[in-house]
Amino acid sequence: MILRLVVTDGSQTPAVAESVEVSADGAISGWRSVSEGGVGWFAGVLPAAELAGLRDLIGSAGSAPPAAPPPPDSGQEMLELAATGPIAIAGLGSPLAVAARNLLTRLTDFPRAAVAVSHPSPTVARLSHRGTDPIRIDLTTVEWRETAWRGYYESAGDWSGVAAGPPEVTAGPGWTFDIPIVPTDAAVHLTADFTILSGSTRVPVRAKHTPALAAP
Amino acid sequence: MTDASEAILPERKPPDPVTVRPPETETAGPVLLPGAGNAAIARLLQGSPSPAAIAELSQLGGNAQLARLAGPGGGSGAPPAPPVGGGGVADVRVGAHGEAVRDAQVKLSRVQASADPLTEDGRFGPLTEAAVRTFQTSVGIVPATGVLDPVTKARLDAAFAALPPPVRALLTMGSTGADVGFAQQKLNALGASPRLTVNAVFDGSMLVGVIAYEIGVLKRFPSGTIDAPMWADLDAKVKGGFVAPEGASGRNVEQDTPSGTANSLGTQVAGSSLHPVTGAGGLTQGPAVKELQQKLNTAGAAPPLVVDGVFGPKTTAALQTFQTDKVPVTGTADKATWDALDAVAPGSTVGAVERQWTEVVGGATYGMTGGNASRYSWEIQAKRMLVTVKVNFVGLAPPGAWFTHVQTAWNQYMGVEPASGKSMPVDFRMIRGAGGDAETVQVVAGTGRANAGQWYVADPNAASTIPHEFGHLIGLQDEYQLHPGDYLRATGHEPPVGDATGPGVPAATIATNLQNAMVARNSVNARAASTGAGVHEGAFAQQVVEAYAKLPTTNVPAVAASPGPPPVPFQPAVALTGDLLFDLNAALPDDKDRYATIQVFSYSSASLMGDPGREFDPHDHGAQPRHIAEFMAILGRALGGTWEAKRR
Ligand SMILES: [Zn+2]
Repeated sequence: MILRLVVTDGSQTPAVAESVEVSADGAISGWRSVSEGGVGWFAGVLPAAELAGLRDLIGSAGSAPPAAPPPPDSGQEMLELAATGPIAIAGLGSPLAVAARNLLTRLTDFPRAAVAVSHPSPTVARLSHRGTDPIRIDLTTVEWRETAWRGYYESAGDWSGVAAGPPEVTAGPGWTFDIPIVPTDAAVHLTADFTILSGSTRVPVRAKHTPALAAP
Repeated sequence: MTDASEAILPERKPPDPVTVRPPETETAGPVLLPGAGNAAIARLLQGSPSPAAIAELSQLGGNAQLARLAGPGGGSGAPPAPPVGGGGVADVRVGAHGEAVRDAQVKLSRVQASADPLTEDGRFGPLTEAAVRTFQTSVGIVPATGVLDPVTKARLDAAFAALPPPVRALLTMGSTGADVGFAQQKLNALGASPRLTVNAVFDGSMLVGVIAYEIGVLKRFPSGTIDAPMWADLDAKVKGGFVAPEGASGRNVEQDTPSGTANSLGTQVAGSSLHPVTGAGGLTQGPAVKELQQKLNTAGAAPPLVVDGVFGPKTTAALQTFQTDKVPVTGTADKATWDALDAVAPGSTVGAVERQWTEVVGGATYGMTGGNASRYSWEIQAKRMLVTVKVNFVGLAPPGAWFTHVQTAWNQYMGVEPASGKSMPVDFRMIRGAGGDAETVQVVAGTGRANAGQWYVADPNAASTIPHEFGHLIGLQDEYQLHPGDYLRATGHEPPVGDATGPGVPAATIATNLQNAMVARNSVNARAASTGAGVHEGAFAQQVVEAYAKLPTTNVPAVAASPGPPPVPFQPAVALTGDLLFDLNAALPDDKDRYATIQVFSYSSASLMGDPGREFDPHDHGAQPRHIAEFMAILGRALGGTWEAKRR
């Protein structure tokens, strides 16, 4: 392990509980609970150039961050480096802190056993499997929210509801689950809250679909 | 209208027989009087109080505490100023706003004319109109217009005045229950020192406060009881402190007990200045320079400087002249210079603030310090005060609606100076800009929970999120998951009594279970031991906090990160402190179970700076007058008089 970042925030529902870890050989792996790119397990290998860039950042990082309290309302971000040990980085804007956070997003390019939500047609929010491995999920209560936008994030409607599915599904490649939503001609953002089963552990998660809107 | 006092007052244990406990040597908590006082009370309560015993107690009370208790009532007991625009006879109808509307909302809820408790926002909307109509129908006013005309207002005032006062229990040593908590609140509001923990237990420390009050204020022979006359006195002097049904739904709402003067700002970093460094190496233009120029003029700059907000050679020279013989002559206004200048020129009509501050929320410390300090400026114009926050948005562009959200939430008040009758709206605005007087906010893609320095471009709750974070940009602290003292300071309310009786499990047992859960780093167990065992926010939970503080402390070793799911980061070794909030925060992983556990042992307001999503309080919703107190003080320094924030 050359870098590990764990971001947690129990004040949100579902709780934020995200992790990413990079090994010396470039292997990247982790878990996402609240995520645009799907929720579940992710694993892959960073390209050599990307790994080298990360190593440079780690090498040039100072041993300790400035001792400033994190900003109000922030969650916890614990960064572990082989050289420094764990450092709380919430609120820090150093290049390494930013790069570490970006790795959480980068991680979702390497799905292993995950579920994402998409918007394939105006009346459908679709959960679909990502990756190669199966994942067990509980769809008894799928709380969804649809937010419509016009222009540059001008609110054009907000709907929510609950869809019901089976209490335990093993989702593998090709698996989908459609949730009927309200059609609108505005740009749509979606969230879907459900539960991932891991052994006897139940992890509430939120899959998000929030495509960027063009700035004016 | 039901008299819900029986239903809402929790079941009370019969008071224990009066006993005098020996001093508890093993606890640090302020439980009993010093030895001399105990002996005096013991003699008193044994039935034959001697003049010597009374003298002893009087002596004990002959201190600042009694002086405060006996002195003229504090501001909290004073009747509120008449609502602005509320003294006339004009009709109040949909679209109206101000203190008169808020006053009507309070009364409509209490006479249960509204369907549910009305949010006391001073805005006359459809819910208020419906409540007026219901009230008119109920008292036979025809037609029911939904307009608060003079006749309706008089009937409403009469109905409100006719509401029965709360039924109070006789309280003695050993009493428990909600009324004990309300009495503790009121004794605190009237200056009890040391403050009483609002734990709904009539213990030795409360006995001291009660006896001191009897002697010092009621001027009566101390009985150690809160009887009907003492209740009448407490209720007359301090508002709130009871539970009342509101709205036709009869929802029980605890009525806030005002106490002291709220200070909703974060705790200023020791040794920091509220002024930005102005001049070379700091700000060389803008409101800070204008403030400097005005104050140098007040301090006697000759010839007077043109107040143009540009730090040029003349300003430099005037500043150096002022600095001579007072502070190092640098030509730059640093903290020492500003302190000296404020001493001779406290007021100005324009100025800038750079506020370094911290807060403790949920047992963790947050803050806006150094480069991330709160920065804002203000200007007293001919017809309004304008507060401006310049934000350097980096990352994505901020949506235009955010700027409107700030104004909608914050532009609700005006400053009023009752003596002169002057009034002035206080407007807030957020503008884009960069430089040393701007705050930096990262605008990031997608959705998530904003913090003071990072906002989400697609936040579907931006209408409430952005005004909350804006509050931090003007130096306001959070009002959720606070220790009782911080809650009191930030809100100006006593900590609520909430659940006074608890689940029937001894507080000490719950405290031990919590410590075991912390040692095991197990937040699930902590939640099971607290909310899972039936602990709710309020007085009983504070009994647990006190019981926890008495446990021997211990160390919790470090734990390596675990991949989960859900993942848990490395947790450093923790030396438990006995402060439950600090320890829960330090020992447990940051997850929902920890959050829910901390929630019940702390206090949260339902204001804009609090946690409206989890707390219900229609009386303390949205932006509150306390949140703009700093600007009232600025108005006073600039224009004279004592300014108050009123809804407009
Ligand atoms: Zn906040």
